[in-house]
Amino acid sequence: MSTKTKQNPKKTGMSRLLQLACTKKHFIIPAIILSALASIASFIPYIVIFEILKELLNSLPDLSAINAEKLIAYGWYAFGGVVANVLLYFGALCFSHLAAFGTLYQLKVNFATHLSRIPLGIHVVIGSGKLRKIMDDNIEKIETFIAHQLPDLVAALVAPIVMITILMSYHWGLGLAAMVGILVAFYLQVHLYGNDSAKEMMGKYQKSLEDMNNATVEYIRGISVVKAFKQTVYSFSRLHETIKNYTKMVIPYTLSWENSFSGFITVVNNIYLFIVPVGIIIGMNTNDFNAFLPKFLFYIIFVPAISSTMMKIMYVSSSGMQIIHGVEVMDNILEIPELEEPKNQKLPSDYSISFENVSFRYNDSETNAISNISFTAKQGEITAIVGASGGGKSTIAHLIPRFFDVSDGKITLGNIDIKQISTEKLMDNISFVFQDVFLFKQSVKDNIAMSNPDATEEEIINSAKAAQCHDFIMQLPNGYDTIIGTRGVHLSGGEKQRIAIARAIIKDAPVIVLDEATAFSDPENEHLIQKAFEHLMKGKTVIMIAHRLSTIQSADKILVIDNGKLIEQGNHKQLVEQNGKYANMWRVYQETSSWKIARKEIV
Amino acid sequence: MKKTSRLQNLFMLSDKAYKDLKKAILACTLTNFSMMLPFSVSIMLIVELIKPLQGKALDWTNIWILYGFGILSAIIVFICTKNDYKKTYVTSYMASEETRTTLAEKIRKLPMSVFNSKDLSEMTTHMMGDVSTAEHALSHVIPQLIANAISITVICLCMAVFDWRMSIAVFISVPIAFMIIFLGRMIYGKLSKKHAAAHLAASGQVQEYIEGIKVIRSCNMNGEKFNALEDALRKMMQWAVKMEFGTGVFVTGAQVILQSGVGITVFLGALLLTKGQIDFISLVMFLLIVVRIYGPFLTELTLLPELFYHQIAIKRMRALMDIEIQNGDDEIEIDDFNIEFKDVNFSYNKNNENAISNMNITIPANSITALVGPSGSGKSTISRLIARFWDVNSGRIEIGGTDIKSIEPEHLMSYMSFVFQDVVLFNDTVFNNIKIGNMSATDEEVYAAAKAACCDEFVIKMKDGYNTILGENGATISGGERQRISIARALLKNAPIVLLDEATASLDPENEASIQQAISRLVKNKTVIVIAHRLRTISDADKIIVLNNGKAEEQGTHNELMNKNGLYHKLFTIQQESLGWSV
Repeated sequence: MSTKTKQNPKKTGMSRLLQLACTKKHFIIPAIILSALASIASFIPYIVIFEILKELLNSLPDLSAINAEKLIAYGWYAFGGVVANVLLYFGALCFSHLAAFGTLYQLKVNFATHLSRIPLGIHVVIGSGKLRKIMDDNIEKIETFIAHQLPDLVAALVAPIVMITILMSYHWGLGLAAMVGILVAFYLQVHLYGNDSAKEMMGKYQKSLEDMNNATVEYIRGISVVKAFKQTVYSFSRLHETIKNYTKMVIPYTLSWENSFSGFITVVNNIYLFIVPVGIIIGMNTNDFNAFLPKFLFYIIFVPAISSTMMKIMYVSSSGMQIIHGVEVMDNILEIPELEEPKNQKLPSDYSISFENVSFRYNDSETNAISNISFTAKQGEITAIVGASGGGKSTIAHLIPRFFDVSDGKITLGNIDIKQISTEKLMDNISFVFQDVFLFKQSVKDNIAMSNPDATEEEIINSAKAAQCHDFIMQLPNGYDTIIGTRGVHLSGGEKQRIAIARAIIKDAPVIVLDEATAFSDPENEHLIQKAFEHLMKGKTVIMIAHRLSTIQSADKILVIDNGKLIEQGNHKQLVEQNGKYANMWRVYQETSSWKIARKEIV
Repeated sequence: MKKTSRLQNLFMLSDKAYKDLKKAILACTLTNFSMMLPFSVSIMLIVELIKPLQGKALDWTNIWILYGFGILSAIIVFICTKNDYKKTYVTSYMASEETRTTLAEKIRKLPMSVFNSKDLSEMTTHMMGDVSTAEHALSHVIPQLIANAISITVICLCMAVFDWRMSIAVFISVPIAFMIIFLGRMIYGKLSKKHAAAHLAASGQVQEYIEGIKVIRSCNMNGEKFNALEDALRKMMQWAVKMEFGTGVFVTGAQVILQSGVGITVFLGALLLTKGQIDFISLVMFLLIVVRIYGPFLTELTLLPELFYHQIAIKRMRALMDIEIQNGDDEIEIDDFNIEFKDVNFSYNKNNENAISNMNITIPANSITALVGPSGSGKSTISRLIARFWDVNSGRIEIGGTDIKSIEPEHLMSYMSFVFQDVVLFNDTVFNNIKIGNMSATDEEVYAAAKAACCDEFVIKMKDGYNTILGENGATISGGERQRISIARALLKNAPIVLLDEATASLDPENEASIQQAISRLVKNKTVIVIAHRLRTISDADKIIVLNNGKAEEQGTHNELMNKNGLYHKLFTIQQESLGWSV
C-alpha cells in the first residue's frame, strides 16, 4: 500500500493536496456533493427576503393591505433554506471528516512504512525531531484541509456560479458591476497569497518554526546535563534565541499582508459601491423607474451575501499555503528512494556471509567509510571484528542487514548477493543485538516476541530463561505482562541487554550480528549475560564487533579493521604471533585491565 | 476589575499581554462597528430610492451624496481592519513568545524528578503544541469573540430603539444556541479528553517508532506491521471521528436554532405589519439585518470548540507551571566537602518501596569512596540524591554540615562534576560542547581540558576540528569519544566533588587507556564518589560502601571487606570468574 507514493508523478501545491484528499474517494465525493448543495441553499434566504421586499413595495404606500399569509409562507421558505443549508453542510462535514481521518491514518502508516525502508543513515542526517514533526504536525494539518477546507473550497467554487447566475438573471448591467467588485476582491486575494515573495517568506517562517521545534526538543533532552553544569541559562538562551527569531520572522510575515488583507475585507464588504453608480446612471435614464427599482434594491440587498462566501475562500487559501508547505516537506522524505527489492528473489543455500571487495561511503562524505573489504564468515563459526572506534566496524555490521547499500562490491549470504534476497527474507535469517538496546513501551512479553510474533508463551519463557532474564522478569510487578517504561519499572542496562538477547534467541535466525553488544553496561551481572550469549550463539554464523579483546580470544577468525581497511586477519594466536596491530592492541588491553581508580596516581 | 483579572488568568497572560489583548479587542470592536457603516449607507440608499413609491420626489443628488458617504465609510472600514489585523496578530505572537519563554524558564528550574516521570514527547507537546494552540486562539478567536459580543450587544440595543419587539425576534435565538453549545460541551468534553489522550499516545508511539527504527527493521515490523503504532494511529482516528461528530451534532443544532431567527423575524414582521404597528423602513432594516447578523455568530460557533481546546492546552500548561520548584540559598559558601547521610529514606514515588532506607553513611572529603552492590541496590540513587536531583523523603544529607535542602539546586551543582554513561551532546560545535562545563573558561582552558581528557586525538581528525558540528545528540561520534567529551567538561568545571560512573571507563575498550588516564586526572585531589561496577577498578578506593536493597550492608577498604567474607567478597569472586570469559 505504501507503493502508492511511488506512482506519483510529482504533483505539487494544491493539486497534490487534492490528490491526497482523494485517498478516500467514497467519502470525499458525497462530501463534495453535499457541500455544493449546501452552498446553493445558502442563497435561498436572500432571494426570499427580496421576494418579501417586492411584495411590500408593490403594496406601498398602503401596507395594511398586504397579504400576511403570503409573507409568513415566505418566512417558512427562508427558514427552510437556512435549515437545509446547515444540514447539508453538516452532512458534508461528516463525510469530509471520515475522509480526513482515514487519509491521515493512511498517510501516517505509509510514511512510517517508508521510513523503515529508506537507508538508515538518512534518519541520522534528517534527525528524529524533524521526522516526528512531519508525522505529528505536517500530516496532521492535512486533516484541516480535507475536513474543513475542501468542503469550503467546493462551496466557494459553486457559490460564484450560483451568484453569477442570480446576478445576471435579474439585471445584466448591475450584475456586471457586481462582478467587477468580485473580480477586484479576487485580484487582491491572489495578490495576498499567490506571489513569490509571500512564498519565500512562508519558507523562512516555516524554517524558523522548525528551528524552534528542534531547539525545544534539544533543550528538554539535554536538561539533565545542562543542570549538572549549571548552564541552564546558556542552554535557555539558545532556545530563547530561536523563540525570539520565530517572532521576528512571523510578525513581518503576517504584517506583509496587512494592506492586501484589509483591502480585501473592505472590498468584499462594500461591493454595493460598485453597483450604486451604475444603478444611478441606469435609474436616471430609464423610462420605467418603478420596474427598475426592485432590481436595483435586490442588488443592494444581495451583495452582502457575497462577502461571507468570499471570506470562506480566503480562509481556504490562507491555511492552504501552510498545509502545502507541510506536504512538500513530507513529500521530500517520501521521495527518498526505498532500498530496492529484488524482482526474482533467490534463496541462500547456506548461511555463510562473504564481503567481496566492499566499499562504502556515506552520502555526503567524500571518503570511504570502509574500502575494499573482503572476508568470509563461515557458517557455524565466530568471526570477530576489532579495531579503533570510528574505524568502520559498525559500518560493516550495518551493511549486512542493508541498513545501507554498499557503494561498491557485494555482500553475499550463502553465495547470493543480499540485494537479491527480499528484505523480509534477509531479516528472517539474521538476528541483531546492538549495544544501544531499545525496548518499546510494551509488555516484556511483546518486547521479546517482537522478532517472532507467532511465538507461544512457552517459547517466550524458554528463550527468556536461556537469556537469563526469566528470574528478574518474574520479580517485576506483572511478570511478563509488565509494561516497560511504566512507573516503578526500572531495568538496569544489563537487564535490558538480556531482554534484547532473548529477543534474538526466540528468533532463532541462522546468522547473528552483534554490534558492540558485549560491551556490558552492567558488569555485576556479566556472568549472566555471558551465559545468555552462549545460548544465543550456539551453532550459528556469528559476526561480532568486539570490545574487550579477552572475550574473542577463542573466536574462529578475528578481523582487524583500521581506517576502513582490513589490515590483519586470523585467530588470536596467529595474530599475536604476527606482532602487528592486533598484538599491540592486546598489550594495551592487558595493561588497562589492571587499572584502578586512585587519587595518588600520575600527572 | 475582578472579572477582568479572571479573563487574564483564563488565558494565562502576562500583564503586558493582557493589556495588548484589551487593545486588540478594542480594535476588533471598532472594526465591527465600522462594518455597520456600509450597512447604514445601504439602508439610507433604500430609503431614498423608494421615495417615489411613497409619492415623494426622487433626488439623485442626495443619492450621490450618500454614495460619497459610502466611499468614506469604505475607507474607514479599511483603516479599522488594518489596525485590527495588526493589533491582533502582533499581540498573539508577542504573547506566545512570552509564554514559550516562561515555560522554558520554568522547565529549566524543575527538579530532575519531573524529567523522569514526564516523558519527553509530552513535555515537548506542552511547549510547542499547546503554545501554538493558544497562539492561534489569541489571534483568530478570542479578540473576535469578545469584540463580537460587545458590538452585537450594542447593535442589539440600538435596534431595540427602533422596535424592541423585532429586536427580540432577531436575537432571541442567540442565547438558546449558545446554551446548546455549552450544554453539549459537558457531554463532548469527555470525548475530547479521550481524543487528546489518544493523540498523545499516538505521538508517543511515533517517537518510539522513529527512535527504535533499527530494531523495527531487524524484526521485520515495518509500518502497519508495527502494531503498537498502527493501533495508536487507528485509535486516534476513531476518537477524532467520535469527537468531531459529537461536537458537530451540537454545533449544527445550535446553528439551526440560531438561524431560526430568520423565520421568527419574518413572522413577527408580517404580524406587526398587518396590524400597522411597524413602518416599512424599520421592517426592511430588520429583514436586512436578520440575513446578515448570524454570520459572525456562526463563525463563533465553529470557533468555540477551538476555544475549548485552547482551555485544555492552558490547563496543561498551568499544570506544568504549578509544579513546585526546589528552592534554597544561592550564596552559601561550602569549603568542607564531607558528605553525610543521616537517616535518609527515599522512594521514587510514594507507592513504591524505598529505594533508600535508613541510610547513615559518611563520604569523607578528599578521598575516593566507591559505591558497590547489585543493580537496583541504590548506588545511582545515592549519587542523584547528593546532587539534589530528588529531595529525600525523610532524614537529611549534609555537605560540610549544611543540609543540601537549604542550598539552591543550581548553586549546589556548581560544587559537583558528573561523569555518567549517558552523555548528552548538543547540536553544536565540539568546542562549545566542551565549554558548557564552564562558560567563563578561556579558549586555552577549553583546549587544555580537551587535551587532558584525551579528546584532542580524535577531535583533530574531524572535518573541522573543534569547530565540527556534532549533529543531533552527537550521532556521529562513538561512545568512548562521548565519554571523553564529558570528562573534558568535568575537568573544565573543576568542581571539588566528582560523581563518577566507573562503567564509563570500560565502555569503549579500544580507548580505555585514554579514558582511564583522563579519569585519573579528573579525580586528583577531589572528593570522589564512584558508582562501581567492575570491583577490581575500585579495590584501591579509600572507602567502599556495599549496598543491598537500599541499605548500606558493609563498609570498609577492599582488604577489610574481603576478610569479612560477606556480600562484597561474593560479588568480587563472581566477577573475577566472568572476567576470563571468551566466546
